[in-house]
Amino acid sequence: MQYAIIGLGNPLRGDDGVGPHLVELLQRRGLPEGVTAIDGGTGGIGLLELLAGWERVVLVDAAEVGCAPGQFVRFTPDQARWDETQDMASLHQAGLAEVLALARALQRPLPPMVIFGVQPERLDWGEGLSPAVEAALPALADAVLAAIDEQP
Amino acid sequence: MSQVDVNIHVHHLTRVEGHGDIVVDVKNGEIKTCRFEVVEAPRFFEAFVRGRPYSELSHITSRICGICSVGHSTASLEATEKALGVQLTEQARLLRKLIFHGEIIDSHVLHTYYLVAPDFFGAHSVIPLVETHRDVVLRALRIKKLSGDLCAMVGGRHTHPCAMTVGGFTHTPGEKELRAMQARLIEARADMDETVALFATLPWPAFERETEYVSLSKPDEYAFIGGQIKTTDGFIYPIEEYQKVTNEWCVPFSTAKWARHNRESYMVGALARFNNNYEQLHPRAKEAAAKLGMKPLVTNPFLNSAAQVIEMVHSVEDSIRIIDELLTRGVKPEAPAPHQVKACEGVGSCDVPRGILFHHYVYDDNGICVRANCIIPTNQNWANVNADMQAFLPQILDRPQDEIRHLLEMLVRAYDPCISCSTHFLNVTFV
Repeated sequence: MQYAIIGLGNPLRGDDGVGPHLVELLQRRGLPEGVTAIDGGTGGIGLLELLAGWERVVLVDAAEVGCAPGQFVRFTPDQARWDETQDMASLHQAGLAEVLALARALQRPLPPMVIFGVQPERLDWGEGLSPAVEAALPALADAVLAAIDEQP
Repeated sequence: MSQVDVNIHVHHLTRVEGHGDIVVDVKNGEIKTCRFEVVEAPRFFEAFVRGRPYSELSHITSRICGICSVGHSTASLEATEKALGVQLTEQARLLRKLIFHGEIIDSHVLHTYYLVAPDFFGAHSVIPLVETHRDVVLRALRIKKLSGDLCAMVGGRHTHPCAMTVGGFTHTPGEKELRAMQARLIEARADMDETVALFATLPWPAFERETEYVSLSKPDEYAFIGGQIKTTDGFIYPIEEYQKVTNEWCVPFSTAKWARHNRESYMVGALARFNNNYEQLHPRAKEAAAKLGMKPLVTNPFLNSAAQVIEMVHSVEDSIRIIDELLTRGVKPEAPAPHQVKACEGVGSCDVPRGILFHHYVYDDNGICVRANCIIPTNQNWANVNADMQAFLPQILDRPQDEIRHLLEMLVRAYDPCISCSTHFLNVTFV
């Protein structure tokens, strides 16, 4: 029974750090048995390895989802229209879209995944979340834990 | 020469680290412009380390780069440790070499498989390569994971080795971990053989231009950390006299500096190390060199990537040997070597994946850095890259423009430039 909540993003770029901030909150709160919260950072292709071996994964990342800052949208990989970069200049620039595409192309089995995209307010240099996104963390945490709990 | 017009501007060359442009302008067969412009933003590391205590320098400067963070940390620590007169234990020395090998493999597999190979398979990047060459991509991922895990085991994490510190390490891997890692490295020999076989089949562009090749050299081993500066034009210098070699100067169209020594330019990197220190390669690496048709003096810059393949083989073998030595001696947790703070100055050098790197620090009597100078390998290569471009272009001018563009891109990529590393300097005056 191994479930992972993976928070993606760069905590030095404002609301892009929502993933790692959520992981910190969950670790402070305490997690149910069998659930691990991981700071996935900006791992690029390394994310491929991070996704392997879990029964179920919930990913949290800042994303343009057309909502008010702090609001979040939940979806599965198949439900999203991905904006993949056409020219992968380097592995450092591999995001979630590229990793999922690579996994598909490699025919790597991936665990069932649910993704939470959190609308950012600011993504410029600076530590700390904007007030709107900071205020959304508790509700986000509840939603993420509920998603882990659901039967596939 | 044919009366052609060629106009190429590659904005932000892909499959290199950082940002740079290829600019070519040929009118009626006459080459007006042919150069590589580095447009990456300056990063000012040498300025903001001033005022920082000596214990922070390696942690700050490791952030110059993600893929060569171990290299920067190592050169930085070498500089500080020489300045303070710190003696490493034999175990610490072995661990420094081991993590260095990890980064050589990590960086070289990234460059050869992900950045260079797609050009030979008609792919823009690695994802289309998966469709046609799945086994090749899987192998690259495997080697990358192995080398990343090796770096994490010794350095505390994959990137920015937090366990590396002045006087040694804050963490020591255990015997079980080392044995498991050694087993994986032995298993990786098959992947190394496949890698050599693959790169031996590639149609490397035919282009020769002899230049001066500069690297570290040591009497007892293929040099990566410390030693002396050696050039193929017959010069040897102590590391402290690096400025006799590097001679940096600014060019108007580049945010990175250039360098020259005995000739108009010189080359650093795997090919330079190969040309200088071939005799000291592990026998398996020499076998790999034979299969790749390489023996010094190799003067085709495209073969820098082939030299990286040879070095991957060498680093795998030497890592296996180092772990043997650690296990035989018995590895045990060690505190970093003690040291006294004092006013001092030191130069550290190592030959990181992309070439010879220098870190030079001056500390006051409180151990605060008052001056820093970092000479990056990629910087040292720019003059040579441009000289190569200018020599190569006339040879390919009769080809379709798209092919010219592609060949010039491949030429720059062959150097494995780390552009973010190379634009770190202090201030520029355009005169």
